[in-house]
Amino acid sequence: MSEDRPSPSDAPPADPEALLAELERDTAEALAKAKADAEAEARAAQPPEEAEAAAPVVEVSAPADETPAPEVDPPVVAFRNVTKTYGDGPKAFTAIKDLTFSVPDIPGKGEFICVLGPSGCGKSTVLRLIAGLGPQHPPTIGEVLVEGRPVTGPGADRGMVFQDYTSFDHMTVEDNVAFGLACRGVGKKERLEQAHHWIDKVGLSVGHDARKYPHQLSGGMRQRVAIARTLILKPRIILMDEPFGALDPSTRMQMQDNLVALWRDLEATVFFVTHSIEEAVYLGDRVHILSSSPGTLLREIQVPPPDRPAQAMQRDPEFLEYVFDIRDTIETLEASRRAGDD
Amino acid sequence: MNDGAAGGPGSGPAPTRESWTKRLFRLREEPPYWLRILLGVSSVGFILIVWAALTSGSIPEERAISPAVLPSLGETAESLPRLFGERGLIASIAASLTRVFLGFGLACLIGIPFGMLAGAWRPFNALMTPLVIFGRNIPIAALIPLTLLWFGIDETQKVMFLFIATVPFVFSSAASAVVAIHQRYVETAQTLGASPWQIFRKVLAPLALPQVFTDNRQLFGLAFGYIMLAELVNAKRGLGFLIQISQKRSQPEDILMILVIIGLLAWLIDKTLAWFQRGLFPYRRDL
Ligand SMILES: Nc1ncnc2c1ncn2[C@@H]1O[C@H](COP(=O)(O)OP(=O)(O)OP(=O)(O)O)[C@@H](O)[C@H]1O
Ligand SMILES: [Mg+2]
Repeated sequence: MSEDRPSPSDAPPADPEALLAELERDTAEALAKAKADAEAEARAAQPPEEAEAAAPVVEVSAPADETPAPEVDPPVVAFRNVTKTYGDGPKAFTAIKDLTFSVPDIPGKGEFICVLGPSGCGKSTVLRLIAGLGPQHPPTIGEVLVEGRPVTGPGADRGMVFQDYTSFDHMTVEDNVAFGLACRGVGKKERLEQAHHWIDKVGLSVGHDARKYPHQLSGGMRQRVAIARTLILKPRIILMDEPFGALDPSTRMQMQDNLVALWRDLEATVFFVTHSIEEAVYLGDRVHILSSSPGTLLREIQVPPPDRPAQAMQRDPEFLEYVFDIRDTIETLEASRRAGDD
Repeated sequence: MNDGAAGGPGSGPAPTRESWTKRLFRLREEPPYWLRILLGVSSVGFILIVWAALTSGSIPEERAISPAVLPSLGETAESLPRLFGERGLIASIAASLTRVFLGFGLACLIGIPFGMLAGAWRPFNALMTPLVIFGRNIPIAALIPLTLLWFGIDETQKVMFLFIATVPFVFSSAASAVVAIHQRYVETAQTLGASPWQIFRKVLAPLALPQVFTDNRQLFGLAFGYIMLAELVNAKRGLGFLIQISQKRSQPEDILMILVIIGLLAWLIDKTLAWFQRGLFPYRRDL
C-alpha cells in the first residue's frame, strides 16, 4: 500500500550497512514476537490470579534467545517497522518512527491494550493507522497488518470511539446506536430492538434516553452512545482514542467499570489511548508506552486485569505500586532517551 | 439578616438588576423575546420618525424634501386603496411570487443536491468551480437581454432568468455547507461500515441541511429582488412592473407603498421559513 504513494525521499537507503541493520532488526523483531506469542499463550492458559502474581513490571520487548515460534494464527494487529512522515521536503515531520509490535490472537479472548505517551507522540497516529483512516493511513514505510492482512481502509471490523464530535447530531440516540446495523441493511424493527438492548447495556435508560437527540445528553452519556454504537457491531478490534478524556473523575470511573463489564463478553482486542496512568493500569492487560516524537515503542508492560470496581481497585496500594512504577519507567526512559539524543 | 435568607432563587433584587444591563452586552446571548420585538420595532420606528420629520409641513414648499422626491407618510398611505383597486396589487404580488417560487425553487431543486454532491466529492467541485464563479459574477444587466433572446418574452424567460441568476449561489452554499462538516463524522461512519453513498445520504446531507436552509432563506431575498428587475421588461403583471408604471406616472408614493408591502411580504415569508426550519431540524436548538 505504501508502494502506490511515490515518495522518493522516504525510500530506505540502499547502502549495505543500512540493509544489514534492517536485517538485524527483522531478526530481533521475530525473536521478540516469538517470545510475546509464547507468553501470551501461557497467559491465556493461566487464571488471572496467577498473572497478577507475576512481577509488577514484565518486559516483553527484549530480544530472547529462543528458537522461532511454531506457526500460529496471525497476530490480531502487527506493526512492521512502521514509520509515518507527514509532508515532505524540509517541512517533513516524522510522527512515529520504526514502530514494531504485535498483538497475538488469543482464541476466545481479546487483549486490552492501553497506550500511554506524552502529547504529540503519535498515539492517535497508531490508532488511525490500524483503523485505516487518512492522512495517517497509509504508513510512509512499513506495514500495518490486521489478522495477517495489510490494512487498506476503514471497516466495521475495527470500531473506533473518538473523544469529540462523537454523535451524529441529527439522529436520536436509538438511531445513532443502530447506525451501523442500518448500513448493513438490518430491518428497522430488529435494529431498534438491538439498539435498545445496547442502550441498556451501556447504562442509559431506554425509556428516557432512546428518543433524545445528542444535544440533550451530557458528555458522558454521549460517550456511552458512541460506545454502544461501536459495540453493537461486535468488532474484532476496538480502537478508543481518549474516549473519557473530557469526563470528570467519577463519571470516568463509572465509564471504566461499564467498559470492563462490556468488554468481558466481547472477545475483542481493545486499543485504548489515555493520558491517565491510573486508567491505563486499571483497564489494561498490557500497557504500551510510546516515547515523545518521533514516537517509538519504548516498552510493553503487563499489568493486572481489573477484578474490582474502579473506585475500589484504584485505591489499592498494590495498584498504586504499578502506577508509580510506570510513572518512574516513563520518566527514566524519557530522560535516557533525551540524553541519548543530545 | 437579609444575607442569610437571600439563598432562594431570584430573591436578590440587586443581582437581577445588575445582570440585566450586563446581559445586554454579553457576547452571543439572545435578549429576551419582548426586548427583541422592542428593538426591531424601534429601528423601523426610527426610520418612520425621520421620514415624518423630513416631510412635515402643511404646504409642500415648507417641507425639507419636496413631495415629488419623498411624499409624506399620509400621502403614501393614501395610495393603498388605489394600489389594491385599479392597479391590481394582489394579482401582481401573486405573479411575482409565482415566478420567484418557480425560478428559485428550480434553483434549489437542482443547486442543493448537486452542490452537496460537490462538497462531498471534490473532483466534481473542481469541475464546477469555474462555472460557479462565472455564474455568481454574471452581470444581471446582461442576463436579462440574453434570457429574452433565449426564452422569449413570457413567463419562461422570467423563471429561467431567476434560475440562472440564483443557481450558482445555491450551489456554492450547499457545497460549502457539506465542506464545513467535521471530518470526524465521516470517519465515525466509515468505522461503522458505511459505504460512501450511505455516508453522503445518512450523514453529510442531513448534517448540512440546516445550514443550507439558512443560506437559502437569505438567497430567497436575493431572488425576490431579482425578479423585479426581470419584470421591468415586457411584463403585464408583477411588483417590478407596478413600480415601473408608478415611476412613469411619477407617483413616488406608490413606489414607497409597494416597497413597504414587499418588506412585509419578505418578513412574512422569512418567518414562515424559520418556523418550518425549527420543525424540520429539532436537533438544532440554535436556529
Ligand atoms: N495531518 C498531520 N499533518 C502533520 N502533522 C501531523 C498530522 N497529524 C498529526 N501530526 C503530528 O504528528 C504528531 C503525532 O500526532 P498524534 O495526533 O498521533 O499525537 P498523539 O500522541 O495522539 O497526541 P495527543 O496525546 O495530544 O492526542 C504530532 O506532533 C502532530 O503534530
Ligand atoms: Mg491523540
